[in-house]
Amino acid sequence: MTDPTPTSTSTTWPWIVMAVAGLVTFVASMTVSPDAVQGQLSRIMYVHVPSAWLAYLAFIVTMAASAMYLWKRDLKWDRRAAASAEIGVVFTGMALGLGMIWAKPTWGVWWTWDARLTLTSIMFFIYLGYLALRRTTDDLDVRARRAAILGVLAVVQVPLVHFSVEWWRTLHQPATLLRPEGPEMATSMLVTLLIAVMAFTVMYVAMMFKRIELGRLEDAVLIAEQASDGAVAGAAVTTPTIGRGTA
Amino acid sequence: MGFFSQARLITSRDLVRERRSGEVLWVTLPFGAIALLLVPMAIGTDAPLLEQVGTGLFWAIVMLFGVLISIRQTTGETQAQRDQLALTGIDAAAIYIGRATASFVLLVIFEVVLGLVTIVLYDVPVSGWWLVPILITIVAAGLSLLGTLAASIVSTGRNAAALVPLLVAPLSIPLLIGATQALEVLDLGGSSLAWVLMMIVSTLVLAVAGVLSARPLQEI
Repeated sequence: MTDPTPTSTSTTWPWIVMAVAGLVTFVASMTVSPDAVQGQLSRIMYVHVPSAWLAYLAFIVTMAASAMYLWKRDLKWDRRAAASAEIGVVFTGMALGLGMIWAKPTWGVWWTWDARLTLTSIMFFIYLGYLALRRTTDDLDVRARRAAILGVLAVVQVPLVHFSVEWWRTLHQPATLLRPEGPEMATSMLVTLLIAVMAFTVMYVAMMFKRIELGRLEDAVLIAEQASDGAVAGAAVTTPTIGRGTA
Repeated sequence: MGFFSQARLITSRDLVRERRSGEVLWVTLPFGAIALLLVPMAIGTDAPLLEQVGTGLFWAIVMLFGVLISIRQTTGETQAQRDQLALTGIDAAAIYIGRATASFVLLVIFEVVLGLVTIVLYDVPVSGWWLVPILITIVAAGLSLLGTLAASIVSTGRNAAALVPLLVAPLSIPLLIGATQALEVLDLGGSSLAWVLMMIVSTLVLAVAGVLSARPLQEI
């Protein structure tokens, strides 16, 4: 176990990176020509697809960091797993929300019982459970071990969600980028999408950095609180000083 | 004492505790039956509609209430009880298998009784029901393994009793889909083999995951 050491959270570069990445995505997605069929609605794709990609990435990192924790028993891996899962949940929620906003005018409904949609929402709830599990105990090692086992098991959802469009007949379109015949998209849209995916990935790295830093501080506070809770009665009583206390 | 003797010991201990407390047979089972009574009041008592939704509803209630059966004792145990059990020297994996087996027995009883209630209340047709005992067995095995694993992960933590169903419900979906689809496909004249195999694979994965994680979890 590595003792968490309090550090400053004053590092500013992650905030700058996040802002720049967000700005790049915004400019790229707003300047590209709209899709011939979907029109302006297609711009949602430049945030929806990178969000879904980040969710996959984040949960795979959670699994890898959880496995590393189980192997090394070093709390830094647990903090990495937790940070990644938290970011993954946020981006899964974003992918679901944006997908619904896109679906209403396109499919005519906010939600449909499509395999991709249903499995993504299940993945969302499983990782919400992971985050809830982390709140069940204040013992850092116990928390890390329980969460690591779930972090490794829960990753089976990622291939299920990704390949659901191949394995079932779904309303959700099949893979457009990662297909054996090459991407099925106009070059300008493809370039914009790739820029957005890269910008989101950079954003993820910056978020991870800040969240891990915050996690280290949270652990330090928890340890300090536990130490003060555990002080024995009378610990504050010291030997009385006679006179001025000097011999 | 061998692995399976240890597991058998845990199973009989859990079943004796259930016989004394009657939690499953006198509380959870009537609760499930009440749920089957309540649903028609909410969706309407139209006989063809109830006949159509009966099978799916049965499996959904088995999944939701079955969780309560598979976690009933693990989440109720104190850390001192867990420590004492660990100190007896019984293999952690044997404890997992033993507990899951006890839950399996209780889940089979639960499913059979609720199945009869469903047939009576919903007038569900019984065509192709030779498959039902197979599905009941696999669902009971999968759900007991999953519930015991989730309960071991959460164990004595805060909000344990509420958190375990949150973990189990989404992970039990392969079992729910498999059970409902296998019967539907059979009704349409197709083969249920793929769905049954999917359920068996899910159950085996849960068994392996539970056995492998038993020792790291017992260190807690």
